[in-house]
Amino acid sequence: MIALDPEYGPARTIPHPVMFRVLDSESDETTVPKVFPVEKGAEWAYYPGCIDYYDQEMQFSHLNYGDTDHGIIFDSSVKLLKAVGIEPVILDRSFMKCCGHDQLWQGKLDVFQKMRDYNTKIIKTLGIKNLVTSCAEGYRTFKLDYRLDGVNVRHVTQVLYERGLRFPPPKDGKAIRVTYQDPCRSCRQMPVDPIYEEPRELIRRVENAELVELKTFRADAQCCGVAQMMYCNDKTKGLTASRMDEAKELDVDYLLTACPKCLTHFGCLHHENRWKPEEERYRYRVIDITHFLAERLEGETVGRAPSVIPQAQDPRAKGRPQGAE
Amino acid sequence: MTLPMQTMKEGVYEERPGFPTQYGPDRTDYQPGVPFWPHEAYRDLVIVFVLMAILLFLSAAYTPEVGPAANPAIQPFIVPDWYLLFSWGLLKLADVLPTIVFTDPLGNLINMDAAFWGNMLTFPLVLVPLLLLPFIDRGRETRPAKAPVRTAVGVGFYLGFLFFSSLYATNDRILQSWPFIADDALKWMVIIPPILITFATYVGIRRLGFRDMYWWNVLLIGSAFAVVLLMSLWAFALGPWAADGMSPIDRLGTLGDQNAWPLTVFMVIVILYSAVLFYATAFLKERKAKEVVLAASVITFFAVVIAAKGFADWIFPATFSALKTIALYSNYFIALPLFALVTFYLGTRTPYSTYEYLLNECYQCGKCHTVCPVTKVEDDALGGLNLVYNTFKKQHDGVPLWTCLACDACSAVCPLDIKYSDYILEERSKVGAQGAAADGGRRYGE
Repeated sequence: MIALDPEYGPARTIPHPVMFRVLDSESDETTVPKVFPVEKGAEWAYYPGCIDYYDQEMQFSHLNYGDTDHGIIFDSSVKLLKAVGIEPVILDRSFMKCCGHDQLWQGKLDVFQKMRDYNTKIIKTLGIKNLVTSCAEGYRTFKLDYRLDGVNVRHVTQVLYERGLRFPPPKDGKAIRVTYQDPCRSCRQMPVDPIYEEPRELIRRVENAELVELKTFRADAQCCGVAQMMYCNDKTKGLTASRMDEAKELDVDYLLTACPKCLTHFGCLHHENRWKPEEERYRYRVIDITHFLAERLEGETVGRAPSVIPQAQDPRAKGRPQGAE
Repeated sequence: MTLPMQTMKEGVYEERPGFPTQYGPDRTDYQPGVPFWPHEAYRDLVIVFVLMAILLFLSAAYTPEVGPAANPAIQPFIVPDWYLLFSWGLLKLADVLPTIVFTDPLGNLINMDAAFWGNMLTFPLVLVPLLLLPFIDRGRETRPAKAPVRTAVGVGFYLGFLFFSSLYATNDRILQSWPFIADDALKWMVIIPPILITFATYVGIRRLGFRDMYWWNVLLIGSAFAVVLLMSLWAFALGPWAADGMSPIDRLGTLGDQNAWPLTVFMVIVILYSAVLFYATAFLKERKAKEVVLAASVITFFAVVIAAKGFADWIFPATFSALKTIALYSNYFIALPLFALVTFYLGTRTPYSTYEYLLNECYQCGKCHTVCPVTKVEDDALGGLNLVYNTFKKQHDGVPLWTCLACDACSAVCPLDIKYSDYILEERSKVGAQGAAADGGRRYGE
């Protein structure tokens, strides 16, 4: 450990150290497991990413008591992919590792390289042709920082848009206002295939949804405040708050995003509603775009956590969410 | 409907003094700087006239003495001053161009012979492009590295072409000193090396901007390999014995001869080396390719030295004809592998090694500071001036390395397209390699 000038050294640290120690320790074991012989390469594979880890961290580590449920992203993505006729291979974490985005941007290049080499081997072994991810950071990392020659890396919204996902007419027909936060990783930072139009077009396909834009959007969209899961403090929370205030001024019903990091930190601030006075609360739901789209489909409702603001049909009906102690 | 972002852009930035309302080379509202024509041209003409007046006055008032008369019995070595050697060389080269004689519509006989081409080559070909350049190239980019085509053509033509044509001006002396060098070889050197210099310069400059030059490398190095291979076969077939009238097929039977052995060895070395360069460029990954090429270059160098020493001193001390053959085709056998090597290294150089060069493009417009979300909330960043510039200068700007969100808002507005987050990525990984990442680089259980 070298001594660094405090001004340029790691003045900010990682607020979820246990999770990242666990994630980093994955890279120590890089023995490729014996996958049973794959005769035919999988056409479609879905990589959920670290969302289950986030979920556990956010739910059980007492760092955040919020209602955000990342597992819904997984359920919704699979449901949506099935709705457009895709039965993906699930690249879950029993034999894949974290994609390494956070480790790369936290300066742990060696950890990232081990994870990248391991994951690349697994993906090549399975003969995957289309790798679908529901995470903006995973999309960027697989597309730019990995060298997956011959593997088509897609974000789930791109696949849904291209396969022509359509929604049944809404049952209640009540008009809703929806806004979308562009994640930095899948938009501005992508020199190829940035995802601007696909989520917006999918939202427009929902009949009763009106898409409104935040104060800054597309390439100018302001960051949600936290990247690579580092330094959660009042300053970064202020950025998140300013972004959520923009949505509040627009009087929207849903604030959507395509990045679990944005969802985590929006959800964290949203959770603080419970201690705010009545007039300062955010009245909209903050959910992932896959969750929003899956709710609009027919079939059983996705979501295994009923505590995600129970009065979801009309967030403005009651001021205080149920379950707030 | 006017979007909020449009209102902000128009209202806040674009009406302010110094912020343009149009962008691109066709903008008419504001032209920074002073155009060359006519302002600079008028001023330069005045200076030229004053200098001419001084020279005319001096030559009239103080006429220099002329030296002794030339001795007609001695053949002089005719050569102009060094800065006009190129024109002398081009005059000598003019007879390679075809003589065209025709009658124009007015009935005049036009004779485009060597004298005509010599005149055309010496002045219009070299100087007219320079005179026309301000009118042809209307771009505002003055940095050579940002204008790859102009720079590559300039380097290839005005350095490569003029240097080798100057060299050809002394061809009689060269042929006198080294009789085994062919005059045709010198002529080809006026054509081939400048083209190669142009391509290599273009590849190198484009690589500065992180462009992927894979196919350029494969094409250039592959063609170099092909030419070396063909010329080797040609040299084998006609060889140093062309005067004896032996047919090429019979010649192949003499490969074991005392004369042909050194030639065989040198050709095989050069062909193998070019082939390794081509193979590494086309089929290996970048890092592996660099290792292979480096090893091959070192081995080739020592192999050539040992072979030359061995054939000259130990094995066949009197085999001059083989060396003569190699010298005849030296521009292929030496210059082409060398060109392939230079192109390979220019085309595969690690972009990060030039990253500070890209940051150095910053001209401190401060747009990045305006959009940076961190400077909006960090107390110590409120008085900051400029994100990219200050970071490059390693001055405190309130956004130290570990506070950046890497959201790339700065790159989105940067007029020079500086990717600040790439710089952050690189710097953090440097620190992380020393065990000082965000959490100290320690892992669970350590």
